[in-house]
Amino acid sequence: MLRDSVADFAKRGTNIKRVRKLRDTAPGFERAVWQQMAEFGWLGILVPEQYGGLGLGCAEMAIVAAGTAGALTPEPLTAAAVLAAEAIARGDNEALKRELLEALVAGATIPALAWQERAGSLDTAATAMRAEPFEAAIKLNGSKSFVAGAAGADGYVVSAQSPDGLALYWVPANTGGVALDLQPLADGRMTGMLKLNDVVVPKSSLLASPACAGAALQAALDTTLVMVSAEMSGVMGRALDMSVDYMKTRVQFGKPIGSFQALAHRAVDLHIQRELSSAVLSDAVAMFDAGASGARRGAMASRVKARCSEAGLRITREAIQIHGAIGFTDEYDAGLYLKRAMTLSAWLGNAALHRRRYAELAAAAGE
Amino acid sequence: MTPPDFSSLSDDEFRAKAREFFAQHYPSHLRFILRRARLAEMMEWYSILYTHGWVAPSWPREYGGMGLDTGKMLILLEEQEQYGVTRVPDHGIVQVGPIIMKYGSTEQKKYYLPKILSGEHIWGQGYSEPNAGSDLASLATSAVPDGTDFIVNGQKIWTTLAHDSTHLYTLVRTSKEGKKQEGISFLLIDAKAPGITIRPIRNIAGHEEFCEVFFENVRVPQANLVGGLNKGWTVAKALLSFERINIGSPRRPQYALKRLEQLARAKGLFDDPGFADKFTALKLDLDDLGSLYARYVEIVKRGEELGQEVSMLKIWAMESWQRLTDLLLETGQEYGAMPGEHTVDGAKVDLLSPFYYARPGTIYGGSSEVQRNILAKYVLKLPS
Repeated sequence: MLRDSVADFAKRGTNIKRVRKLRDTAPGFERAVWQQMAEFGWLGILVPEQYGGLGLGCAEMAIVAAGTAGALTPEPLTAAAVLAAEAIARGDNEALKRELLEALVAGATIPALAWQERAGSLDTAATAMRAEPFEAAIKLNGSKSFVAGAAGADGYVVSAQSPDGLALYWVPANTGGVALDLQPLADGRMTGMLKLNDVVVPKSSLLASPACAGAALQAALDTTLVMVSAEMSGVMGRALDMSVDYMKTRVQFGKPIGSFQALAHRAVDLHIQRELSSAVLSDAVAMFDAGASGARRGAMASRVKARCSEAGLRITREAIQIHGAIGFTDEYDAGLYLKRAMTLSAWLGNAALHRRRYAELAAAAGE
Repeated sequence: MTPPDFSSLSDDEFRAKAREFFAQHYPSHLRFILRRARLAEMMEWYSILYTHGWVAPSWPREYGGMGLDTGKMLILLEEQEQYGVTRVPDHGIVQVGPIIMKYGSTEQKKYYLPKILSGEHIWGQGYSEPNAGSDLASLATSAVPDGTDFIVNGQKIWTTLAHDSTHLYTLVRTSKEGKKQEGISFLLIDAKAPGITIRPIRNIAGHEEFCEVFFENVRVPQANLVGGLNKGWTVAKALLSFERINIGSPRRPQYALKRLEQLARAKGLFDDPGFADKFTALKLDLDDLGSLYARYVEIVKRGEELGQEVSMLKIWAMESWQRLTDLLLETGQEYGAMPGEHTVDGAKVDLLSPFYYARPGTIYGGSSEVQRNILAKYVLKLPS
């Protein structure tokens, strides 16, 4: 049923014309479509039932992630309903957690997770953002980079060093001292550079205390790595289907170009990459849904992100080559798939970074 | 001896049994032989397997096999690979035995199957010819009826261990009419028959594993046909689903990966980010193959037929294996050009044997290019 609603959305709820129209605009997506996603229940798939969600798992979320990304949907689904949602759900401030999750599931509030400061680092503890007691409140100072889904976000879950250690705070977007600089991504969406200058929030904004913040962030990141991989699988699947279809119809030298062995073998190699990606993704989803934890969970997340990033980039790059000159035009859709793959690959660590992380974590897990 | 019945054991219990069996019985001087071993070396192990009833793990119990299901069969192979157990000359067990069970006459079953089990008959495969390699259906070795016999003339090549074989199962041309595939028959030939000459061929690793076989007016009873006249192509194609998946297993390259890891540790190469990335990429190529392989294992376990797409396992397994042994040579630096075992920074390694051992996998059983043609045609449905 979920698969049907995703397929139906990809067919009727969105289209490439809309994607093209929203490119390089802010926020770059439509609130009405977001509301529709809320109605489908997609925003609450990973949110526990007691907070208004569906309490389902990665298996269900992966279907939605792959399907919507395969249609190049610009809405910040994984940024808000996976990355931010997972961090919030693992916090220890019950009241705030309930408020934020219920609003997220309803589509009323879009949260973005602001945790990263440097490019090419997945170290959640390497945080210079400071949180200090200020009168009866908390004062935040510092900056965050590459905040996914920042455009159009109603607030940020910010990681900061408090006097007691790393903690997560909820900062509404309209709080004084918050400055957001949106920068374009290759695929026409936006990423956020966030500056907090003497931003004062009430003590009740402490979403995850140092007792759980580090683990919450790590778990949220690892879940998101798997879901970004699912998005990548959707993108590579469409790009390859499109290329193979083209090879069947484009005629040169009096024959469909798919009959030429050089191209046919190339397509087969891409197919193998797609199948490897899909197999690892299934294993990762199954492992996450079975409740894996710690280094094993992290190693699996890196393994799937490494394979899918590599395969997604290769397939979409070669899609351009298979199409020839038309593939290099802005008018043709192959370029849109390449650019989405470039964006997904770079987000939260590319293949090279994740191979390195995999090696470290696999050794730690004794694998 | 009657084979042990493991059908009531869980997979884990069976794994423990297999592990124990190899540790207890497998001759230690035969561990990790990185080539196809000759019959004389392996007969000792063949007899042990036969004595304990372990010689034909996949055969049904009614034919004297262990009757292992697919899951346990794969476990057995995993444990075998893990312990470094070398293949016996097993074409009788793996190839021609199952074909006789499926297509053979009652007399053929009664005569051949027990002799395969005991090792009295050792089989070699006579398929390829000098002018029929990837294009196997072009084979020209002819079998012409003469009374109740055929007269066979022609030449086979790349026949693995033919010089150790007592019998050959062959594809021969029995008709030149119609499609090439429709004039081929599956014929069992006694390797000692007059008119057969077997000449070993030395491979680039220096081993004599395969041979060329010449047939000059060889008289073969027509009763040795399997599956009927001109039905050989169908018979040969009916390779068990299990064998088609087994060739793409991630197990075989594991040995090379371990050697590479051992060498790299000794040389402190894991501190070199360039090497570390190459190594991890190759390790993940195998791990990810493991995920894909497991998918197909599930299909076979459910008793479903495998489609043509299973070819991609072989391509990826064999090509990953080669990339791995390429890196092994590169890592060995000067030792990467020296045959035999050497002590490199304290690690005792033989670099060239795994390298040569990985070479033929992209050629035999349908080359990687032929497999790609198959996938392009039947899976991607590209025009030809």
